[in-house]
Amino acid sequence: MSGGNGSKDVPTLSATGIEAGYDRHQVLHGITFESRDGVTCIFGPNGSGKSTFLKTLNGIVPVWDGTVTYGDVDLTGAKPEEIVTHGIATLPQGGGIFGSLSVEENLEVGAFTVDDAAAIGDRKAEVLEVFPALEDKLGQKARDLSGGQQMMVSLGRAMMTGADTFLLDEPSAGLAPRLVDDAFGLIERLVDRGAQVVLIEQNVRAALRLADYVYILAEGEVQFNGPPEDLSEEDELMELYLGL
Amino acid sequence: MVDIGLFTQIVINGLLLGGIYITIGVGFSLAFGVLEVVDFAVGEYVMVGAFMGAVLAPVFGAEGIFVIPIVLVVFFLAGSLIQPLIHHVTTGDRPHPLLMGLVFTFGLATFLRGSVLTIFGPNNQDVPSSLLTGGVTVPGVGTFPVVRTVTAVFGVTGLLVFMYYLYRTRGGMAIRAIAEDRTNARLMGININRYQSIAYGAYAALTGSAGVFIGMIFTANPGMGLQYTAFAFFMVVLAGMGYLPGVILAGIVLGLTQSFTAVYISGNLVLLVLFAIIYVVLLVSPAGILGKGEWAT
Repeated sequence: MSGGNGSKDVPTLSATGIEAGYDRHQVLHGITFESRDGVTCIFGPNGSGKSTFLKTLNGIVPVWDGTVTYGDVDLTGAKPEEIVTHGIATLPQGGGIFGSLSVEENLEVGAFTVDDAAAIGDRKAEVLEVFPALEDKLGQKARDLSGGQQMMVSLGRAMMTGADTFLLDEPSAGLAPRLVDDAFGLIERLVDRGAQVVLIEQNVRAALRLADYVYILAEGEVQFNGPPEDLSEEDELMELYLGL
Repeated sequence: MVDIGLFTQIVINGLLLGGIYITIGVGFSLAFGVLEVVDFAVGEYVMVGAFMGAVLAPVFGAEGIFVIPIVLVVFFLAGSLIQPLIHHVTTGDRPHPLLMGLVFTFGLATFLRGSVLTIFGPNNQDVPSSLLTGGVTVPGVGTFPVVRTVTAVFGVTGLLVFMYYLYRTRGGMAIRAIAEDRTNARLMGININRYQSIAYGAYAALTGSAGVFIGMIFTANPGMGLQYTAFAFFMVVLAGMGYLPGVILAGIVLGLTQSFTAVYISGNLVLLVLFAIIYVVLLVSPAGILGKGEWAT
């Protein structure tokens, strides 16, 4: 197994035997997962548990059994507000921006766990370098931005946390079709900067272009894992679970 | 027919009252936004504040003003201890969180009212203060009674400090983020319990100290709380649920309505008039008079 620690030295996010669910309804039945350098995609039909799985990684959904580790750090049972301080940022479905806050405040909320004002300023400059379109929008309420710009705010806010690993929950959902390519372009910018991305997507074709490693989930279990090249040979799997 | 002198005097009294109502309304609105709880105990905080004024003022040379700092501290601490209980009953696997919050705060209100009634009896208690006599007369306008003026100044100052914290500090930013989406706020590393405690504590402190002033202007009575709970509802409905700037306008409307109704109709009919207004607003513009409430669609 590749450790995932490339030249950028980003720790591997791994989950072993994860079982979880809501109330008494079990959704995940023993998922074992490891993030790779670049983009690790998680595909699967609706209700396969992929979103729930992502939420066990960021602490929103409690783990019933199994472990979550990030490098040497055991994150099993850690709260979301702790997990982000270890360098794992989440982009919730729909971007999760705070619409009533200004764009600048959204970025600052991202750096909420950072006390050093100079460091926050540096990161803000970095975000504006990656997303220059936000520069003259800083004072506007985030809800007044276009869908593509909101996506930039969401990614920029995640960058502000100082994370090395980004968990993306269907970033293309709700975007106009012509913006989907742009969205994936933005994700590529993160990867180019050395970040590790765990990507959940319904838009399998677009996501496959970015994928360095692929997991397919169905009924709360891993049905396939391997590099995207291997996936193309699994015609049956592709058709069965991804509708390709 | 209308006596201009009386008319301007009613406007003055109404505006000055509005200043203190705003502090109650803003806190109540924030509690709704941040804790997602409709706080039935709000009026009882006013009542307990008034009684703390009545009980403690004699200790401080019969000066109710001196009780304010104590009330601020005690209510802030009490509020930040009560908040985790509210959080507990409105989260987790419990169904109908909004209903759970209502039941909890309704129970708290009943408990506070019953306790004060048991300890102090049903009679009115005065909150003494040297401010109760005197006023500044502006020729051609009217008289600004000292106690109401000081109350309004306190209310507006409290509001400004509160707004400064909310809109100009990182803690305030965190509270606004929580009000918009708790889960996403946690994902940004915000310890929501901590900031919800601060928000509820600040709200309780402002409301309790408003109670001391209200006790000075009117009186302290164990049954007074319900009226101020109704006032708080009036303000947030008029303002639009969760829309803070609207509360300022609503507080002023409330003060003026109370003032005018008491003089031109009857002091006993103030609540009736207020609810008639709420009824019309809900029918015509459910998102508040400014149409910017959370329920605006």
